[in-house]
Amino acid sequence: MHNNWSSADVLLPYLPQAFREYMERGELPGGRGSFPAAHRPWLHPEDFKRTDATPPGGGAAGSDHAYMCEQLLDRYAIDHAILNGEEAIEVSTLANPYYAQALAGAYNDWVADEWLPRDERLLASLVVAPQDPAGAAAEIRRLGGHPRFAQALVSSGSQRPYGDPFYHPIWEACAELGLPLAVHLGGNAGVNAMPTGCGPPTFFWEAHALLCETGMGHVASTIAHGVFERWPGARLVLVECGIAWLPAILWRLDEDYRALRKETPWLRRLPSEYARDHVRLTTQPLETPCNPAALWPALEDVGARDMLMFATDYPHWDFDDPASIRLPPEWREPVMDGNARALYGLSAGEAVAAHR
Amino acid sequence: MFNVHGRFYALNNGCPHKGGALCAGPITGMVLPTSGREFVYGREGEIVRCSRHGWEFEIATGKALADPRVRARTYPVSVEAGRVVVTL
Repeated sequence: MHNNWSSADVLLPYLPQAFREYMERGELPGGRGSFPAAHRPWLHPEDFKRTDATPPGGGAAGSDHAYMCEQLLDRYAIDHAILNGEEAIEVSTLANPYYAQALAGAYNDWVADEWLPRDERLLASLVVAPQDPAGAAAEIRRLGGHPRFAQALVSSGSQRPYGDPFYHPIWEACAELGLPLAVHLGGNAGVNAMPTGCGPPTFFWEAHALLCETGMGHVASTIAHGVFERWPGARLVLVECGIAWLPAILWRLDEDYRALRKETPWLRRLPSEYARDHVRLTTQPLETPCNPAALWPALEDVGARDMLMFATDYPHWDFDDPASIRLPPEWREPVMDGNARALYGLSAGEAVAAHR
Repeated sequence: MFNVHGRFYALNNGCPHKGGALCAGPITGMVLPTSGREFVYGREGEIVRCSRHGWEFEIATGKALADPRVRARTYPVSVEAGRVVVTL
């Protein structure tokens, strides 16, 4: 889910002076109060917030904790929710990695100050700027020991896929702190690569349907480069990258690896075996075949029952409702509860005190 | 309940897609179907967009514009002696 601010100026007190000036007096393409990051060239023609998620007291969707409780946390009796911010991951789009990392650090401190104390159900993601792997690793080490930070978080848009050795300092830091690396849809702008190898899509809905493409790239790359062989505790979490594509990619990776293993002699297992142990995917937006039952047999084949974790993407337009999500009966407990508890180290059946 | 150009219509408030509240979404017109690369807007006030995922429904019939096989349930409405009567 996406906690938001009504103005990015909330970050100013958390920025070091050198970078606070950038935001106070420097260029802000979106105007004062906006977040300094490049914007993707596909613009949602109806905006991507649910129209009923604007807080009655004003402010941006996702900025009001009380309304978030009413519409989501209390309404669906959610035990734990992970905050992913709204715009912070877009730091990956900036050419200046020092400014990018300073903004990410400011976001992390703001979340720890403003959101976590309000509600014990909330956990946070530690946003980093991946274009600066050493700086990202330092940020992970700075805050990764905080018990309410559940994972490190980067955008799915990137300059290279996340198994590339360029990013290995990030994997090293995550392994050291015992944090999964979550990759969330976003950052398809600025210095990051354009999606698809046949040129960019044209329309927002076309681009949105293709959002799984970056997820595929990161799964293949982390497996092939041996991230999971080198760091046995490493976990890759794909957030909002779709799920139905997963079996097809794993079948293909297995088949091609079996023929051309000699390219990657550091691997000891099949790609699908690494995926089952090290890759997790959130369900939103859940694909909807005409026959709902058609979604599951292929996912069953690759062991995805252990890999999926329910997500809402609140307050966005393609929100998945936890009360009406359709899952096979034996998938319900692991997907809605067990897999996330296991990944994030949350005790089974732990009762969390209600928010203050 | 909707008033479209002076006529009343009633829809079930659950979107047939994933249950969102149809009453919470904006009333709009629509970009009309065309054969070429032109964008013609019309039917102002005749369409409601679901507040969740933005599906467009023709208020009078409940039909989803993008797939008319999907329909929000409608109820007959009449005006009798100055009162709007919905038959459930």
